[in-house]
Amino acid sequence: MLRKGGLIRVFSTQQRLIHWVHTFTFAVLALTGLFLFFQDLRPFVIADAGTASRSLHRMGALLMGVLPLLYLLLDYRNFFASMRRLLTWSKVDLGWLKAAPRYYFLGDEKAMPPQDKFNTGQKLFYLVVALGYLVFGVTGLLMWGGKGSIDPLLFMLCVLLHDLMAIAWVSFFLVHFALSAMHPLMKGALDGMLFGWMPEEYVEHHHAKYYAEIVEKERQ
Amino acid sequence: MTSRMAMYIDSSKCMACRGCQVACKQWNDLEGWEYSHTVNTGSYENPPSLSPQTWTRIKFIEVPDSGPLGFQWLFLKEGCMHCGDPACVKVCPTRALKKHPLGIVTFERELCNGCGYCTQFCPFGIPKSDIKNLLTGEAKSSKCVFCQDRTTNGLLPACVKTCPAKALDWGPWEEMVSKARARVEELKAKGYTAAQVYGDTQLGGLGRIYVLTNTPEKYGLPANPQFPLLATLWQDIVQPLGGLAIAGTALALGFNWLVARRKIKVEQTGEEG
Repeated sequence: MLRKGGLIRVFSTQQRLIHWVHTFTFAVLALTGLFLFFQDLRPFVIADAGTASRSLHRMGALLMGVLPLLYLLLDYRNFFASMRRLLTWSKVDLGWLKAAPRYYFLGDEKAMPPQDKFNTGQKLFYLVVALGYLVFGVTGLLMWGGKGSIDPLLFMLCVLLHDLMAIAWVSFFLVHFALSAMHPLMKGALDGMLFGWMPEEYVEHHHAKYYAEIVEKERQ
Repeated sequence: MTSRMAMYIDSSKCMACRGCQVACKQWNDLEGWEYSHTVNTGSYENPPSLSPQTWTRIKFIEVPDSGPLGFQWLFLKEGCMHCGDPACVKVCPTRALKKHPLGIVTFERELCNGCGYCTQFCPFGIPKSDIKNLLTGEAKSSKCVFCQDRTTNGLLPACVKTCPAKALDWGPWEEMVSKARARVEELKAKGYTAAQVYGDTQLGGLGRIYVLTNTPEKYGLPANPQFPLLATLWQDIVQPLGGLAIAGTALALGFNWLVARRKIKVEQTGEEG
């Protein structure tokens, strides 16, 4: 655990690299996928433009598909350490869920329990992303290679599930983007993912449980 | 004049000469490559299924009976049914597939992006996708278009024009249905008790009106084809839901942003705004 000049080290170089490549592949996949949802974007799905956007979608999917493996390969320690934090749920999370509506829509922070390195909302987001990997992976590969060999009913189900998952991903992405890159009270979040370091007072305020853990470790 | 047209197909008159298959390939400029790859499977039918280069074909069905041969041959002219309520048109994202006022489900190859949804959502499994590259997904769909370039100019479909047995006809939908019903009565009087019309009631009425000498199941046709529920669910519910979910999320986030900014202002001035 590193603490230096009022800053705390939160993400490794490898983690940030993976995050931003993931952002890029997500942008490619979401854009080429959203063409199907909006009538005004239909020119992008017609004829050669459509063949090109379908190809792009596949290339983006392949790149995204290897990212978890790359993450494991480059930085397995942080992969597992983050995973452990993301999958650990306690009373703190229940408290967050109860306090969240008042916090996000009324600006009332009083009931918000101290949060770990990832707060409950961030954990939820991560789980939706992980579920997406599973659903997109299975349904995408089936639609990619299974046309003609799998039952049409299964294909149709894949189309529907892929779309529902896409709606979930894009909606959660909007929340993620607004809270981490645009939100006036949470500027530290973007710093963390850009430079790997977060201002100490930001961590103390938004991730008090994690901050206490760091302080405790240093005392020992 | 734009009344709905239909193809009349009398399977009791078809002798499986396959002239229609040849005429279709000739007029639509389709390759005959399958014929050099034929795998014989104990049937005279050839090729074994519809393909990107075969838009119509005669399917051979052998039904055992007590006659001198021990079986009866049923011949079914396969091809796009041109449904009154076509699922392929609903799911096609490029509008390469459209419903023409003449009742034809037309196809514009140059608009197709190769997604192949039509091949999967068709209740009859008719459209075929010609996949050029499985990695990139480069492909084109194809199917019978009732010779859209001929029929929209008042000509007969190529297969109808060539049929020597007069098993095929082309005309206004209602006329073709009455003709089929009359023919079925005739067949019943001759002892074909299971004879029936197929296509007059299914899926908003099909563009192919069949006279069958046996039950649809015997021909391998679905007795009660359904418009796929998942196509409706996908196009009419899930996709509009996508826009709503995104708009709703954005709205909530905008509100949250205002709340946060107000909080900062309040903290700065130290008083409630």
